[in-house]
Amino acid sequence: MSTLDELIALIAEHDTAFAAALAAADGGAPAARESALKALEVGWTGRKAGKIADLMARLPSLPPADRRSFGQLVNALKARVEAALAEREAALAATRRPSNAVDITLPGRAPALGHRHPLSLVREQVQDVFMRLGYQVLEGPEIEDDYHNFEALNMPEEHPARDMQDTLYLAAPLMPSAAVSAAAEAHAPPAGSARRGRRPLAPQPLTLLRTHTSAMQIRHMEQHDPPVRLVAIGPVYRRDNLDLTHTPMFHQCEGLVVGKGITLAHLKGTLLAMAEALFGAGTPVRFRPSFFPYTEPSAEVDVGCIRCGGKGCPVCKHTGWLEILGSGMVHPGVFEAVGYDPAEVTGFAFGMGIERVAMLKWDVGDIRLFYENDLRFLEQFSL
Amino acid sequence: MRVLYSWLRDFVDVSDGPAEIGRRLSLRGLALEALEPAPPGDDPPGVAPLPDDAVLDFDVTANRPDCMSVAGIAREVATAYGLPLRLPSASAAGHLRSIDLRGVDSASFSVRIDAPERCTRYVGAAADVRVGPSPAWLQRRLTALGVRPISNVVDITNYVLLELGQPMHAFDHARLDGNAIVVRQAQANEALTTLDGKARTLAADMLVVADATRAAAIGGVMGGADSEVRADSSRIVFESAWFTPQTVRATSKRLGVRSEASMRFERGADPTAQAAAMARACALLEIIGAGRADGTMVDALARPHVPRVITVTHAHIEALLGMPVPPAEVERLLGALGFTLLAGGAAAAWQVTVPGWRPDVVRPEDVIEEVGRHHGFEHLPATFPPVHQAPPPSDPRVARDAKVRKAMLGMGFSEAISFAFIEASAATPFAGGAPLITLANPLSETFAVMRPSVLPGVVDAVSHNRRHGRRDVQLAEIATAFAAGGERRSLAAAWTGAAAGDHWSGARRDVDFFDMKGVVAQACAALGVTPDFAVTEREYLVAGRAAAVTVAGRPAGVVGLLAPVLAEARGIPKGDDVFVLELDLAVLSAAAATAAIRVEPLPRFPAVVRDVSLLVDDSLSASTVRDTIRHAAPITLVSVREFDRYQGRGVPPGKVSVSLRLTFRADDRTLTDDDVAAAMQGILAAVRDGLGAEQR
Repeated sequence: MSTLDELIALIAEHDTAFAAALAAADGGAPAARESALKALEVGWTGRKAGKIADLMARLPSLPPADRRSFGQLVNALKARVEAALAEREAALAATRRPSNAVDITLPGRAPALGHRHPLSLVREQVQDVFMRLGYQVLEGPEIEDDYHNFEALNMPEEHPARDMQDTLYLAAPLMPSAAVSAAAEAHAPPAGSARRGRRPLAPQPLTLLRTHTSAMQIRHMEQHDPPVRLVAIGPVYRRDNLDLTHTPMFHQCEGLVVGKGITLAHLKGTLLAMAEALFGAGTPVRFRPSFFPYTEPSAEVDVGCIRCGGKGCPVCKHTGWLEILGSGMVHPGVFEAVGYDPAEVTGFAFGMGIERVAMLKWDVGDIRLFYENDLRFLEQFSL
Repeated sequence: MRVLYSWLRDFVDVSDGPAEIGRRLSLRGLALEALEPAPPGDDPPGVAPLPDDAVLDFDVTANRPDCMSVAGIAREVATAYGLPLRLPSASAAGHLRSIDLRGVDSASFSVRIDAPERCTRYVGAAADVRVGPSPAWLQRRLTALGVRPISNVVDITNYVLLELGQPMHAFDHARLDGNAIVVRQAQANEALTTLDGKARTLAADMLVVADATRAAAIGGVMGGADSEVRADSSRIVFESAWFTPQTVRATSKRLGVRSEASMRFERGADPTAQAAAMARACALLEIIGAGRADGTMVDALARPHVPRVITVTHAHIEALLGMPVPPAEVERLLGALGFTLLAGGAAAAWQVTVPGWRPDVVRPEDVIEEVGRHHGFEHLPATFPPVHQAPPPSDPRVARDAKVRKAMLGMGFSEAISFAFIEASAATPFAGGAPLITLANPLSETFAVMRPSVLPGVVDAVSHNRRHGRRDVQLAEIATAFAAGGERRSLAAAWTGAAAGDHWSGARRDVDFFDMKGVVAQACAALGVTPDFAVTEREYLVAGRAAAVTVAGRPAGVVGLLAPVLAEARGIPKGDDVFVLELDLAVLSAAAATAAIRVEPLPRFPAVVRDVSLLVDDSLSASTVRDTIRHAAPITLVSVREFDRYQGRGVPPGKVSVSLRLTFRADDRTLTDDDVAAAMQGILAAVRDGLGAEQR
């Protein structure tokens, strides 16, 4: 015959044993926890063989006076066990997935998406900023005649500036035919225009690969009266050997604005807007006087070094500035070539290398990477 | 142009150090290329050595011959700093002294200019000399500027050239036959051994400085060896002349000789500087103890220089620059640069006389540039050009190409950009027999011809990626292709490897013809046009896996499997299937332009779908079956499309089972089963009678 005290001690033992069993069941993978929990439920709260049922079975053996107290103690134990099991059960249920669930951590089936070429990205950024500023974006022929590439740009045959241009020539000149693009064949000013440029009346044989997009300026002005507000972007060609910073083909962006009262200060504002669009807000711009045959005054334009912010670093050769383009006020001789009156209109023009911008923007150390089309390179750029 | 800091200080008392001068001049039009420590050594007598002496190397633009001298750069420094310029003169002391020479008609020698249109002025002066080495200070200055010291007399000619920009030459008086100097055209095949020891044969259009019998120098380019000053020469004649840039450039280019003299004459030396340079050279003889000049000069002036006068208004200056520059500042800056200004006529206008050393200043705009650059571009405000009318539209190619580019990106093609010139052997298969556009002076054979198609560049890009371990490659390029008939904007693309990449859910599938055909259709769809396909044969495509694309009846391109022999020739691993396409974007956009866009009303009545399986000869093309069905069907047939194709068990050899889905719909009513049954009956009869097809 057990005394009540012995039975109370027995309940305390049960409490300890349950806590230990519970702790053991808490370890392991979810599936193992699930079966351990099931075993605990059967072993403790089972109606027939459960440990709590066993305790309750001792009730009749107690003196009637103790039965009530013991019954309350066992019921309290039962409540504690059930609560603990219910809590574990709820936690497990939260991790259990529905039968139709998938493992969302597996790789997805991605529809193919190509990568933009960095030169194309720069080109688009330049186009965007100038379209915002109300420019038209134009393209022109890549095989040119001497007149549009040089002569009309104030570079007659003997001009020393032609030394600056190392030109690729065709083995046999092409005569522009009716099939040649409209831009290349049109030599007439617009209907109703009284302009008389000094351009030749007949189309000239095409002899060379354009060395700059400036040739496009001339073609446009020949065919359109001022005002002019354009950017022309495309490949240009020079006889440069391939090295870290040179390729015989590269891309240029040309800007031209012509109208009454256009000033060098307008050029500065415009290029500042472009620099901020390309390199970020607050990018400063600096003009340095220079020389180009087709502009007067002429200026090389620098932007504040985008690597060091102007403090000086190896990229900017410790000057704090990076040269990005050449520019200036359109030379009156160029206006005369297309039949504009330099007393009536002024204009500004600039030419920028797209590769140079891309190299600075993305820290590309070798210009040749742009022409290898290595997917490991291209995949670093997104849409 | 290299300049020694201490030499600059002969002419301008600038207190800033060399680095700061370089920085400041870089913002005034003379870009500092490099700053090097000065070579050690002596300074002229009475000149204190500078601890921070240095060589400044400026990049002088082609229009500025005046900056090809120390004095010319000193003038820029003086202007930039607002300091006076001090040039050599008879009143100057020490090594800066010059002398006054008396002009005479002839001296111990005579001068005659027979080519006045090419040599406008020739100044000669004779001197007795003791040939020997120059003093250390003079040698140091030459060395610092990259000129090798030779002897005191020759060094003086080089010193004056570097100091004042006027090329000089010295003849051994004793070797001038007839004591005569004649500037004339060379005789055809006239022989002359130049100072560099090379025997040269001259052409009749070259200019020579000759004695009574033979050429003694090539005018403005290089002296002759016979008449050069030697160690035993005791009497010399200095030459200080002006040759036209065209003459010197043409001769220098033809002979392949570039000298310090020719570089300066080519750009345009000062046509008024000859006498002053001669006086300076004669003074230097005495300053360094190399001899004594006669004190006279023969100044043969064939064509006097007429200074250019340009009218510039203050309003024009401010209107072109877009910044205010006070009139007093205009006068100060131009005056410092050597222009003389006469305020005159209208209010705030000047008659500006251009100094002889500025051949580049021709128009008012050139004068305005001088004002602008020295006032400082840093003062320019940032403003915007006003807009007075709506901007005209852009070139339609820009937006079109962007659409096609996006469509290709969306189908997984990365964007390639390749060189427009390629190897002739890579170009030929793509030219279709048309002549290639060949370059006269290509960099190498790999860049010899303009691409007749954009495909070769894309194929090479595939090859590059395959050779660098990439198995699956999808590349597309939109660029110009070249033919004698003109330039053509083309889309080219290549696809090799997986059509559907490796994925845990299933096996990968390699790209096939129909993937690429689908790309053609989608690229066309991006522009709102529909392509048609026909069997074709191309040298660069595998027969039986090649289709010609037409859009609105015009040839628009091709799609197919690249010929393995070509792929291998470009370095693509053997066994790779590379599918390619090329589309003429102008043909696509022309078709798009004429395709009117009008919205079709949405169907009001339901469609009825019937599937049918037919057993047909496997030589019959799918399009023949489709066309036969369409032809036999009533107008209510809105689409017919293959959804299965089977050969194998249950299908006799030479036959194929094709399953088609036919969709019927009427605009005005719901079709009944009878309607569709009647249509199907007609269709089945037509394929049976026309194609021998059985329904399965």
